[in-house]
Amino acid sequence: MITVKNLCKDFNNIKALNNINFTIRRGEIAALLGPNGAGKSTLMRLLSGYIDPTAGEIEIFKQNYNNSRRQILSELGYVPENAPLYGEMTVFEFLKFMAAAYGLSSPEADKRIAGLTRQFELTNVLTQRCETLSKGFKQRVAIAGSLTSSPRILILDEPTEGLDPNQKFSLRQFLKDYARKNIVIISTHIMEEVTALSSRVLLLNHGKLIKDTTAALLSELSPDNSLETAFRSITRQKQ
Amino acid sequence: MLKQINLIFQKEFCSFFRTRLAYFVLGIYLFLSMFCTFYLGLYFDVLNANLFSFFYFQVNILMLVVPALTMRLWADEYKTGSIELLLTRPLSYTSVVIGKFLAAWGLCLLMLVCTFPLWLYTATNLSADNLNIAASYFGCFLISGSMCAVGCMVSAFNKNPIVAYLGSVLLLTLLITVNYNFIFNGLNLSGSLIIRFTQSLNFFYHQSTLLNGQLGLDNIIYYATITVLTLWLNRITIEYKRS
Repeated sequence: MITVKNLCKDFNNIKALNNINFTIRRGEIAALLGPNGAGKSTLMRLLSGYIDPTAGEIEIFKQNYNNSRRQILSELGYVPENAPLYGEMTVFEFLKFMAAAYGLSSPEADKRIAGLTRQFELTNVLTQRCETLSKGFKQRVAIAGSLTSSPRILILDEPTEGLDPNQKFSLRQFLKDYARKNIVIISTHIMEEVTALSSRVLLLNHGKLIKDTTAALLSELSPDNSLETAFRSITRQKQ
Repeated sequence: MLKQINLIFQKEFCSFFRTRLAYFVLGIYLFLSMFCTFYLGLYFDVLNANLFSFFYFQVNILMLVVPALTMRLWADEYKTGSIELLLTRPLSYTSVVIGKFLAAWGLCLLMLVCTFPLWLYTATNLSADNLNIAASYFGCFLISGSMCAVGCMVSAFNKNPIVAYLGSVLLLTLLITVNYNFIFNGLNLSGSLIIRFTQSLNFFYHQSTLLNGQLGLDNIIYYATITVLTLWLNRITIEYKRS
């Protein structure tokens, strides 16, 4: 379970996040939704422990980053925006490095990588350098890398960016399956993805959490029952 | 912790070769070293029992070459965003800092090893003082370690490897050339404890004795202190950037 209490983050006196509170339980796929600059990526960076909050608390499985940083990180897979990889490594070397960073032994890592390679259809690019991959492949390699330790929490910043419709579909199916026993948090601009994937919607605007609901309930706020219209009317109102 | 250091060391050390940077830096280092030894150092004209022609220029050459190894260690991670990937894995910051530093220092060791044929040539053709040469090599290795640590620290401040390179060269130039004796120059304190202390802070004072083959515990402590201190600052920088 992830519990966020009174979370604030300032960057040079600019409030990127202001008093955020929510709880996400196992089995949920939470979609962070919001216009550009709403604070989605900042919230993801805070949840993944990459940056520290200015105020407030993040509790992950009843532990916090101040006391049990490495323990939390060993349970967490995070793919930042634009899926950064080590360009000079081959896909296999990258996945192996990620597995070793999670403390997996070499045979364990090989076994896990074999499974992920099949899952994300990476067999043909295993010996290819990461810098030569297409955007879609880079995204899939980054996601596979974050899954090498089978983390209980998966945080993905715009995970379907660069994927073709088939890849999007199979990733969504995978995430739905994965979320049955784990927590998945995604950030996206694509409304269709929110509807297809998420069981929870956390709508952010100007650093504030303005709605914590489901995609269906959010759609009902618009006259035409469309998520996009609801999103536009809510985020415009608040500007 | 050792496992993590080893992981980062392997990643960075292999990366030097994957990106061809190692070959480039190694080539430049060997060219400069040999040019300085034979052309500027007049290797065949002076008595070279302790490879004076070679070691005399080493600090200046390392000062230009070592930052090229360290410039991308952190700057590239920040530039490409892979720093988020690295620091959100269950790795301790200390392991990452030490692993990256050791990779650069390891390559410095390789660079020095590549000059061993010169030692071999001197030993077979001249009456070389092998113990002195070995001590001078160790001194070079220690100095390159301090330079790697300084380079790593400067790289952690930047997103741009070129700026990191220039910053490291500038900082190393200052470190090497500044004479701390000027602080008490106006006062008539020659021979006093204070003067001896400020003298002991000078990089060139330790460098000249070390490269003459006089290892000395004070020299070893001096370079070890610079290395540990700058690595600690490197770690602080990473932590600071996070918050």
